Amino acid sequence: MSSFDLIEIVIASGKGGVGKSTIAASLAILLGNSGYRVIAVDADAEAPNLHLVLGINKWDRIIEFREGRIGFIRDDKCIYCGYCYDSCVFSAIEERNGKYVINPWICEGCFTCSFVCPVKAISFKYNVLAGYIRIAYNTPYRFPLVSSEIKPGRPNSGKLVTEAKNLGRTISGGKGIIIIDAAAGIGCQVIASLAGTQLAILVAEPTPASFSDLKRIHKLTKHFGIPSTLIINKYDLNEEYVSKIIEYAEKENIELLGLIPYDDSVPKSMAIGKPVIHAYPNSDIAKEIIKIANKLLTILRNWNNWKLEHIPEKIEPFIPIIIKPEK
Amino acid sequence: MERIIQISITGGKGGTGKSFVATNLTILLAEKHDLLLADLDLEAPNDHVLLGINKLHNKEDIKIFLPFIDYKKCTLCGICAKICDTGAIFMPPKSPPIVFPRLCSGCKACYYACPYDAIIEGGHVIAHSYLTNVTKFNVSFRLLTGILEPGEEHIPPGLAIIKRKARELAKEILLIDTGAGAGSSIPIALQYSDLVIAVTEPTPLGLHDLESILKIANGLGYRTWVIINRYGLGPIDDHLKIMKIYGVEKYFKIPYSIDAVKSYIQGIPIVVYNPDSIVSKSFYDIYQVLEDEIL
Repeated sequence: MSSFDLIEIVIASGKGGVGKSTIAASLAILLGNSGYRVIAVDADAEAPNLHLVLGINKWDRIIEFREGRIGFIRDDKCIYCGYCYDSCVFSAIEERNGKYVINPWICEGCFTCSFVCPVKAISFKYNVLAGYIRIAYNTPYRFPLVSSEIKPGRPNSGKLVTEAKNLGRTISGGKGIIIIDAAAGIGCQVIASLAGTQLAILVAEPTPASFSDLKRIHKLTKHFGIPSTLIINKYDLNEEYVSKIIEYAEKENIELLGLIPYDDSVPKSMAIGKPVIHAYPNSDIAKEIIKIANKLLTILRNWNNWKLEHIPEKIEPFIPIIIKPEK
Repeated sequence: MERIIQISITGGKGGTGKSFVATNLTILLAEKHDLLLADLDLEAPNDHVLLGINKLHNKEDIKIFLPFIDYKKCTLCGICAKICDTGAIFMPPKSPPIVFPRLCSGCKACYYACPYDAIIEGGHVIAHSYLTNVTKFNVSFRLLTGILEPGEEHIPPGLAIIKRKARELAKEILLIDTGAGAGSSIPIALQYSDLVIAVTEPTPLGLHDLESILKIANGLGYRTWVIINRYGLGPIDDHLKIMKIYGVEKYFKIPYSIDAVKSYIQGIPIVVYNPDSIVSKSFYDIYQVLEDEIL
């Protein structure tokens, strides 16, 4: 049927709340219906919502993610020198009523404070429960869902996302389509989502803020050499920004998959825990998403050629700005 | 020195209206107070976009620590590589360590752990900050914006630097706008808040992510209010239940209205663009309660 065994598709946007999870859920269902083996991965560990859009509330398996440490200062040993306070780059150490306290919501357990402490007053709690990977093997939509969830405030959500993605790959057995619903932003979770994938679906809404964030996320897909496609959601909000975004997409060789209108069938379907294409199959939104899925299927059937035509011409190298030590 | 009042706008889910709320409250608060608005959504900073500000000023590097190896002193003991949590220091067999800047979080543990003083302090610019004096819409305030270099991923230490700067620069009110999510950056942005305002929406998604944020704000022990934006789109019964569980003091509703979208696209806060809108009226209410109870 197609020229690939396994393809990983990331849905990303930079800006939050533009419709990534709504689109990811519907596309996963539609690609599954067309005969592909689909695995959905919720890679927004800090705000995992894909299961809510799909109406899934039971997990077949929950794996603990234990990662990192949290420091604490022993009052009986502390001499109030403040070295720890000055050394912490995360600002996790606070001065409260003349005492130094490590804020457990901020501490990443890097050990730096314990090295600078002259009286060894800092100890660590190890193997902290930092989150979960949850798996629903048999969803009502016949594809499995792997969902990452970091405990609020814990670091390393990017690492958790990588593990969730790897689990998705294992479940796929190397065959099919993995749909990855990425987080908002362009940070570690999004970078972990993009790494090693073959196709990006960027979602934007016609607002100045979303356009600005679209350019930032596209910069990242170019760093990774991933070809990008675009969906403009809530396109009827503003014509001017639709044309600005389309103009940008044409210039950057981003293929436009479609324009989705806005109406309240999306929040209504969320409220009943059903994807919009099932809750309101006759809505304009559902019709447009089906068209988008068909366009995506055409791309996948013609994958090798399409990829060659759309891979970023110049992979924008990522060069960190380094400042050498003064001699 | 007079104590500054820090009010932090957050929410968990993206797109619930954090920046929309932050920019509109900025306009109302700046009329009577000295205000610094700190856009701490380094990954997707939009406050200046919503305020129609085309140019940011006073650019500064946000530089975190990066280890360099002094090969004359290094004994190949390997302690630095062992202590590194992010895998940024790699020890090939029988050779000195190699540093991968992109993986390094700048925590400096290797610097202190090295028994031979063989690690020298270098730097790595992961973001930039801008401090812009804004006089617009009949008010004046300052805007501090943090912008991440695309490709960088160790946000917390960079964020901590910009946050410290915001605390130093603020004179009366520090209004903070955080990014989406509920990861390790959020507590740094919220740290030292006098009030946390969580912005959510009446959907199960908004509810789910609101709970994550309330866990953080509650764990940090800060006073918390909630704004339910786009009120009318769906039920809020469950929102009210979890707000009770986490000790939310007050909540406000901003009704769903196309007026909000129109002002948003124009880059003009709705309290300026359409002062008679029901959305603007909600902001006046919130502002008044802030004046009465926080300021």
